[in-house]
Amino acid sequence: MPRFIVPHPGHFPALKEIIEVKEAENLKEVEGVFMGVMGGSLEVMGSGRGVLHAPLIEEIREQTEYAHQHGIKMNIAMNSTCLGGHHLTFEGYKMFEWYFSELNKAGVDGVIVAEPYLVELLRDFPMKTTISVLSYVDAPQRAKFFEDLGADVITVDTNINRHFELLKGIVKAVNCDVRVIVNEGCLYRCPFRYFHYNLASHLSSLNQPRSPLFAPDYYFDKCINIRLRNPTQIIKSPWIRPEDIKEYEAIGITCFKLSGRTKAVNWIIECMRSYSHRTFKGNLLEILDCPQMLRDMFYIENEKLEGSIEQWKRCKKICNECGYCDKRTQEVLTYLK
Amino acid sequence: MKKEISEGRRKLEEELRNLVGNIFVPEAKVFGMVCGCVGFAVDLRGLQYDDVDVFREKISAIMEEISKSVGVEPEFVYARNLPGSEEVVTLTARELCERCKREFAESKAPPRPDIVVLKKKRWK
Ligand code: SF4
Ligand SMILES: [Zn+2]
Ligand SMILES: [Zn+2]
Repeated sequence: MPRFIVPHPGHFPALKEIIEVKEAENLKEVEGVFMGVMGGSLEVMGSGRGVLHAPLIEEIREQTEYAHQHGIKMNIAMNSTCLGGHHLTFEGYKMFEWYFSELNKAGVDGVIVAEPYLVELLRDFPMKTTISVLSYVDAPQRAKFFEDLGADVITVDTNINRHFELLKGIVKAVNCDVRVIVNEGCLYRCPFRYFHYNLASHLSSLNQPRSPLFAPDYYFDKCINIRLRNPTQIIKSPWIRPEDIKEYEAIGITCFKLSGRTKAVNWIIECMRSYSHRTFKGNLLEILDCPQMLRDMFYIENEKLEGSIEQWKRCKKICNECGYCDKRTQEVLTYLK
Repeated sequence: MKKEISEGRRKLEEELRNLVGNIFVPEAKVFGMVCGCVGFAVDLRGLQYDDVDVFREKISAIMEEISKSVGVEPEFVYARNLPGSEEVVTLTARELCERCKREFAESKAPPRPDIVVLKKKRWK
């Protein structure tokens, strides 16, 4: 059976509400949640995405207990892409070791990390090690490296969400679970990705720049503007429609992750519903995370995208020789007035 | 309107100082969002989560009053923390569009962990 892991914004009432809906609506495939941690609980550790809450170990333990009572697994995201070298100091090593052991004692089921050193450190604990999307696993060879380091689950780089040959190759190359993120709307082969996540990692940790940023939104603004000028980029982004999940199951992928832990809890719940039911009617941008703002600029009629996956499964991504996505954009996307 | 915004900023700062002490309100603004929401918001320095918790009703009442004076119906009043800290950096009173009613105000939980809901109108 396919399994979904859904974002948890971090505060306990949100967890309760997510679980309440899952149970009331019998969304059986929802297996677990994940939440970020930051500064408050861990002095130097940031996170790939922003973190809006800093649960302390005690709170993590309470929430984990509650999740377990309801058959839900608790995962903690610590997927900073830059730790400024701190983890490789003796104090840093000690601190991570201590923190992992506290998470373990708190009953946490899994930890999501991007940093290879942390992957190895986690071998000493029974918690499942999930490789973050921010480890950019985009080929069988890289997947194998991470599996050998200790991965139990590998979240593949969203850039290959529509590269079916590579996905198949990864599934074959490793024994661990392979997971795809379904609703991330980032630019395909985004030139800012590494830099933006490094920045986010620093800003959500205590490794802050020495003086205030004067252009903190540089990457984000560029990212929005690129799409405003060329909306085909939105169609080329590697999101996966709820209706197309079955194509991934067909190649042996059974783990799916929803993105959006910085979003409102009711938005998360709506996404959980749509993906659980494998269907969504309306503006596809309503269920895409990152950047959410696009839903107020464009309307993409999800129903009209039916069948496009067949092209994306096969295409070589040499877009200047193809033009399919340009054509689709004309047919499915309108500017909102 | 210009007068009401300036007056609102001054009044809020004064009332918060009376309640909690040394609070600074550098900016107050009326805004309109693409989704249809309109609101009144102030940036703050010096206010902490505990203060908001203790004076929840009073702070909400002041925000509601100022919000009405600038023509915004205060359906949803909230404070926003600096993520992961105790510092409260904005207070907002918002008249919500249909989507934000669903997404922002209809959950039992605060919509996000950095948001402290001070008042919420019941629509249903
Ligand atoms: S190669 Fe064609 S179908 Fe594939 S992403 Fe590029 S434009 Fe789209
Ligand atoms: Zn760095
Ligand atoms: Zn709105």
